[in-house]
Amino acid sequence: MIKGRSGTGKSSLLRLMNRLEDPREGEMRYKGRAFSAYDPEVIRSTILYIQQTHMVIIGSVKDNLMLPFTFKINRKKTRPDENTLLKLMDEFHLGNIGLDASAGQLSVGQAQRLCLIRGLLLSPEVILLDEPTSALDDESCRIVESSVVRLCLESGKTVIMVNHRKFNSEEITPRTYKLADGGIREET
Amino acid sequence: MSPGIIDIGYTELCFGLFFILMAGIASFVHALKLERDLFIGTLRTFAQLFLLGYILKIIFDIDRMPLVLLVFLFMIFFAAWTIYGRINEKEISFFLPTFFSMTISFFFVTAMVTTVIVGVKPWWKPQYFIPIGGMVIGNSMNAIAISLERLLGDLRSKRKEIEMKLCHGADYKEASRDVLRDAMRAGMIPSINSMMAVGVVFIPGMMTGQILAGANPVEAIKYQIVVMVMIVGATTMGTLSVVLIVRKLCFGKSHQLILRDGKKG
Repeated sequence: MIKGRSGTGKSSLLRLMNRLEDPREGEMRYKGRAFSAYDPEVIRSTILYIQQTHMVIIGSVKDNLMLPFTFKINRKKTRPDENTLLKLMDEFHLGNIGLDASAGQLSVGQAQRLCLIRGLLLSPEVILLDEPTSALDDESCRIVESSVVRLCLESGKTVIMVNHRKFNSEEITPRTYKLADGGIREET
Repeated sequence: MSPGIIDIGYTELCFGLFFILMAGIASFVHALKLERDLFIGTLRTFAQLFLLGYILKIIFDIDRMPLVLLVFLFMIFFAAWTIYGRINEKEISFFLPTFFSMTISFFFVTAMVTTVIVGVKPWWKPQYFIPIGGMVIGNSMNAIAISLERLLGDLRSKRKEIEMKLCHGADYKEASRDVLRDAMRAGMIPSINSMMAVGVVFIPGMMTGQILAGANPVEAIKYQIVVMVMIVGATTMGTLSVVLIVRKLCFGKSHQLILRDGKKG
């Protein structure tokens, strides 16, 4: 978990990890290799960044979920069938929404979870979440937090999350880092 | 004076100012505050066109290929500069790529028309190459400017959507495919629309000029058809090449979108 006041660079840190920005000095490494040694498209689908603002494209829920598989780098990956999509939708408490429903009709919380599912379909190793609960009500917030717990415990994913709220979970205690004064330190 | 055309004397030409006088009175009566612009516009029209007429006469008399090509390059340079000024983009420098891609595509289209369609010999004959090139450049310039404005505007306003696609493994071309398509369409639609309306809603200037000069209207039509299709071809080639290059300039080497939200620099 990454915390820090506004403007300390929390989102910039996530964007650096996803290569949406390159560092002005120094070097980022992943698994011992410099970021620059990876193709940007490969690193981005391995370390997946889900933006703070939920972003759905015009079209159905299914169009949104399958969007990443229209990109060249993901075409060789197994495309999920409808049953897999419906199962995931159900796990994220979106079971009452059909795959053909318009994505534009979803609430903020529902769209946020749809974005989370869309990212998970690519089976990334690391997921970067930028304040995923900032615009959510308590109920949606609880669902997203339980999804994060499940990702860590059941899927073995590493989740790096920028979050202002207290993370409510009895199952895991996230390691928390604070950004301040141009540096980063672990909070105990 | 060409056979078949009635020469307009300088006194008669000045009578044409009556229309400007009418516009000036209307501007004054209705407080449009356009009198100064009308005055400067009229002066510039007279000065620029007389200058063009004398320069063209000199070029036609000299009749040398390097000079014709130099004039052609100057026209493209001026068009690229006009686009650059109109877009007013500070974050990326696109003048030189725009100039070079306009030069290649416009030269190709103009030379194709003079060589293959009109069959003029030599292919650079100034009486053909310069007016045809001028029509190609003038019409495509507007299309390129419209496309670039749309491209840069959409890349900024749709930044979050583009970055979402990049985050899911898209390369810069995939992430900006929709933006590119909309920009191309915006630039090309006016020239396609004019093909729909030509001869019904308006009689084009070139054809009118040929008819006034005494040409057979059926012959004039053939030239006009060539001009219309040539403009669509030049617009497509010019717009596509410029928009593709400028789009590439908007992304970094790691496919990051360089343009920032809501500002031009």
